[in-house]
Amino acid sequence: MLPVARERCVRRDPWLIVAPDGGPEQLAPISLQVRDLSKSFYGVHAVDGVSFDLVGGEIHGLLGENGAGKSTLCSMLAGLYRPDGGHILIDGEEVHFRSPDDAASHGIGMVYQHFRLVDSFTVAENIVLGHGEGVGRRARRAVEARVHELGEEYGLDVDAAAPVWQLSVGERQRVEILSQLFRGARILILDEPTAVLAPHESGRLFQALRKMVDRGHAVVLVSHKMQEILGHTDRVTVLRGGRNAGAGDTASLAPASLAAMMFGDELAGVGARVERTEQVVGAAVLTVSGLDVMGDHGRRAVDGVSFEVRRHEIVGVAGVAGNGQRELHEALAGLRSASTGSVVINGHDCSSAGPKVRHRAGMAYVPEDRLGTGLASGLPIEDNLVLRSFDRAPHSVAGRLRSGAIRETAAKLVREFDVRGARDGMPVSFMSGGNLQKAILARELTEDHDVLVAAAPTRGLDLSAAETVRGHLRRDREQGRGVLLFSEDLAEVLELADVVLVMFRGAIVGRFDRSEVDVEQIGLLMTGIATTTEASRP
Amino acid sequence: MSRIMVTPRPQRSMGVRIGVPSLSLLVAMLLGALILVLTGADPVEVYRTMFDASLNGTVALERTLTYATPLILTGLAAAIAFRVKVYNIGAEGQLFMGAIGASAVALTLPSGTPTVLMVGAMMVAGALAGLVWAGFAAVPKAFLGTDEIITTLMLNFVALAFMNYLIFGSFSFLRDPTRPVPQGEAIPASATMPSISGRLHIGILIAVGLAVVLWWVLRSTTFGFRMRTIGDSPRAARYAGIGVPLTTLAVLSISGALAGVAGAIEVSGVTNRLDPQSLAIELGYTGIVIAAVARLNPIGVVPVAVLLAAIAAAGGSMQSIGVQVQVVVLLQGLIFLSVTAGEFFVTNKVALRPPPPTTIQPVADPVGGGA
Amino acid sequence: MNDSVLVLSIASALVAGTPILLAALGEIITERAGVMNLGIEGMMLMGAVAGFWCGVHTGSLTLSLLVGGLAGAALSLVHAVLAITLRVNQTVSGLSLVIVGSGLAAFLGAAGETSLLERANGVDVDQLLPDALADLPLVGPILFGYDPVVYVTVILVGVASRVLYRSAAGLSLRAVGEDPAAADAAGLHVVRIRYLATTIGGVGAGVGGAYLVLAVLGTWQTGLTAGVGWIAVALVILAGWRPWLALAGAYAFGALRGLGFTLQIAQVSIPSDFLAMIPFVAAYVVVVAVSASPNRSRRVAAPAALGEPYNREER
Repeated sequence: MLPVARERCVRRDPWLIVAPDGGPEQLAPISLQVRDLSKSFYGVHAVDGVSFDLVGGEIHGLLGENGAGKSTLCSMLAGLYRPDGGHILIDGEEVHFRSPDDAASHGIGMVYQHFRLVDSFTVAENIVLGHGEGVGRRARRAVEARVHELGEEYGLDVDAAAPVWQLSVGERQRVEILSQLFRGARILILDEPTAVLAPHESGRLFQALRKMVDRGHAVVLVSHKMQEILGHTDRVTVLRGGRNAGAGDTASLAPASLAAMMFGDELAGVGARVERTEQVVGAAVLTVSGLDVMGDHGRRAVDGVSFEVRRHEIVGVAGVAGNGQRELHEALAGLRSASTGSVVINGHDCSSAGPKVRHRAGMAYVPEDRLGTGLASGLPIEDNLVLRSFDRAPHSVAGRLRSGAIRETAAKLVREFDVRGARDGMPVSFMSGGNLQKAILARELTEDHDVLVAAAPTRGLDLSAAETVRGHLRRDREQGRGVLLFSEDLAEVLELADVVLVMFRGAIVGRFDRSEVDVEQIGLLMTGIATTTEASRP
Repeated sequence: MSRIMVTPRPQRSMGVRIGVPSLSLLVAMLLGALILVLTGADPVEVYRTMFDASLNGTVALERTLTYATPLILTGLAAAIAFRVKVYNIGAEGQLFMGAIGASAVALTLPSGTPTVLMVGAMMVAGALAGLVWAGFAAVPKAFLGTDEIITTLMLNFVALAFMNYLIFGSFSFLRDPTRPVPQGEAIPASATMPSISGRLHIGILIAVGLAVVLWWVLRSTTFGFRMRTIGDSPRAARYAGIGVPLTTLAVLSISGALAGVAGAIEVSGVTNRLDPQSLAIELGYTGIVIAAVARLNPIGVVPVAVLLAAIAAAGGSMQSIGVQVQVVVLLQGLIFLSVTAGEFFVTNKVALRPPPPTTIQPVADPVGGGA
Repeated sequence: MNDSVLVLSIASALVAGTPILLAALGEIITERAGVMNLGIEGMMLMGAVAGFWCGVHTGSLTLSLLVGGLAGAALSLVHAVLAITLRVNQTVSGLSLVIVGSGLAAFLGAAGETSLLERANGVDVDQLLPDALADLPLVGPILFGYDPVVYVTVILVGVASRVLYRSAAGLSLRAVGEDPAAADAAGLHVVRIRYLATTIGGVGAGVGGAYLVLAVLGTWQTGLTAGVGWIAVALVILAGWRPWLALAGAYAFGALRGLGFTLQIAQVSIPSDFLAMIPFVAAYVVVVAVSASPNRSRRVAAPAALGEPYNREER
């Protein structure tokens, strides 16, 4: 348990980023080489013999679809996972990281998709954490001053004395980046940073990154969005199925060739766009009026929301994550209580009813949180597939479970929805994200329902699984049900929805019929830049 | 440390589930032997004496199974509560209250009442007393979210003090007025539990019977399904429409009732009076660890309880070979620790990580340009 | 007459409360790092038996307390391995250790040739400050009449508070207890910090137990802690994991334990069993009252990751 002697580079003084004379300080040349790196989880290769090169002064894109191995690769570079095989060389010397601390001492810092900030601490405390500096009054002032300076330098301003839980997602990301810079990161890895940002916030981020590489930093930008890679990187490496699939200077690569690298022979039209059938919209199956919902920190998360979902219709809610969507769909499902307002499902007023009543009234719910809410992660697949119907025929009679009937239902659902990876008695937590989602959908879609509320149903799924899920949503719509889709992926919302609602700070700030969709307007509404206009009044 | 790879096991074979605990048991016995040697005793003699006193012969078995009866019940009480993540540490106190309730009933009903009714009434009284006592923790938890670990714990000490008061601190109707030395009044013969063989009474059948019933409820009823779901994920349980507060309240009440029944059985079958000193032997706390060792499985509680009872039963024979009685508690503790630690190896597979390749590949640039 | 009763009560409250405070202080550190150690009662007993043995053989209070602390630390190390490395349910692990600890202590206390049960007072415990100060009317006994341990404990409370809230070590500790994933990402050794915190908790309990048997009780008897360790566990929660509040609470409980004696002198007769109940009833009432209070910040004060094992490669 005592520290084992580690190779440590001389740690650069983190304060040296802003030189005494105020001018930008140039960093010494950096190089990172990755050779044949591999990592497996439970026998599955997440990364299989990947190699790539990185030098200071460049923004290097790491492109690939979900599940291609980008995140795992970066986690190894950042010292979070230990490679099963392969080499990492920094400035020509091989390094073995035993911990994130180790990687940090070599100048590698990573900003993850899920932020690693202690919510109850302030920005300054989070930045200082692990640095060995005190947090007495003097030290805190010094840190706050530095944060302010750095903020100004790179355009990453944030209030250093604010507790993190009060900050917006964009601000938290800035804290993460500053944190890495304070640690002396010369190589900054960002994992899907724009997934949680609005368009103009992304712009600011890229400006900051450009300033950094101009000083000599190296940036690795992990993304599955081609536009981003094309627009902001100098070089790009493409991964597919955990392996190298191509690389080169961004300027010399056409979108088509990048797509071919990403997807192999099946092109980006793996989602060969299904023909969209016109549907005649029917009666309302879900009517929400004046809904107010309190959030976790005593603030109002949903503010006076009213809308309708009708039969044969998909209503998509667009918005940057964290603007009340989660509280809204939890309230609709009955998992969170609303302070005022009404929810009417299929004509039944369910405003103060619990999840069971709403389910019986006709609402199917696919929650955002698969393993935490949608499924009981320690229970086997059969139990999970009857999770919402275990106390009804045919699965039980007079309080007694009928295991034969349960197994039959489970087998049928697994077959029909191609759920793979489930084994006898095995907790479902061992199954992959895609199969978990299929399981949840199998359960929710086969029960009688009139409206389906789906929250981030394709998050974290690879392209084919995501397409399958979208296919199910379309089918539900064709079969006469109403679908309410919450998604952070604007493209997905635009592709699927008949009606687009835009959510910002808990309120519906825009409503667009499919025919009048204005992407730019939606983007501005999503970030609160534009306020509701006549054309978009919900 | 970096050479050890730990991966969770998706499925646990019978071999692992039986093998690991058996190995842990062995380790515990070896550690116990070591401590015995260090304090100047002969482990072989000690273990042999223990075996003779607890498992060798009818009298020994009677003793062991009699000791096991309340442990099975407190083990069940803990198992079902912990299953729904309600940490009922109060079986100890609930047992005392059950004993008090049962004694009170036995001394109040006319002594001519038939045994069936008498014993039945005592069981019911014990269950109710335990249930109500658990309620003092359950109600604040249900309405205010009060942490049940502290409340049930504090209530243990209150119950103990109360029980002591009834016998040692006052002349309550539960105390024998004819004796100057404080002692509980003897319950009438009709209130005594019928015996099966020697000192072994039908309480063991009640205990094992309840274990089977609870096992069946857990795996084959909708209530059991609710319990298992809550225990796995309260959020998923709510999503499934399960009334979490109501179910946990019910489970905690049943848990308290089981511990109360344990107290009632002890009074009816063993002590035949309210005897604080015979009851306050950490039956409740031991039950918790039994439940943990049995991995919260009601059927599993039975053999584990019997094992621990065997060790406890052997305690009386220790003095005759010059070893301190407390060695049995020590041995029990070692078994708990060893099996609990062994759990890790049931849930996870531990292997050595293959060493990284020592030769560095030539640094030729494998990254081709373009597709 | 009434004066001296009051004075005696206050003085005895501080002395009786010190073992609770030592154990609670250690547990605050442990829980702030996210580890719940319910085994304090067992560790106090181990500390008591070890400390008493040492006192009997060496006559030195300091040495005895040290040995007691080591004994407590040893037992808490077992809990650390179970709870942190093997990721066993922390409630179960702690309880097992209470059973093991009390069993082992009872065994050792009665074992061997020199059975501690037969020994009388193990060690002389002197007061720290000169008699002149201690003899001052009223103020003297209350402020100056104690043995060094009482004063050192108060200083430790101050040190703990300062370290916890002002130093980098304290920040790291709290981070590990609030969000171990974030702490890990920040480069902190979560496992190492938790081991350290748990061991400190064991030391606190061990020293508390040793002090209890040597200075407060004076003689060894089986089960001498009688629930004091559990009161310390409750106290940590009631004090909102804050050292100074724990001090107030510990002395309050110390006073309650001495209440019986005080009432006897005041010639109020309450059955001794009910007196024994008082600290526990009080703890129960306070715990319920706190959770009933509308002031939510109390409950939010628990370290967010308390009781949850940390596994870095958990996906």
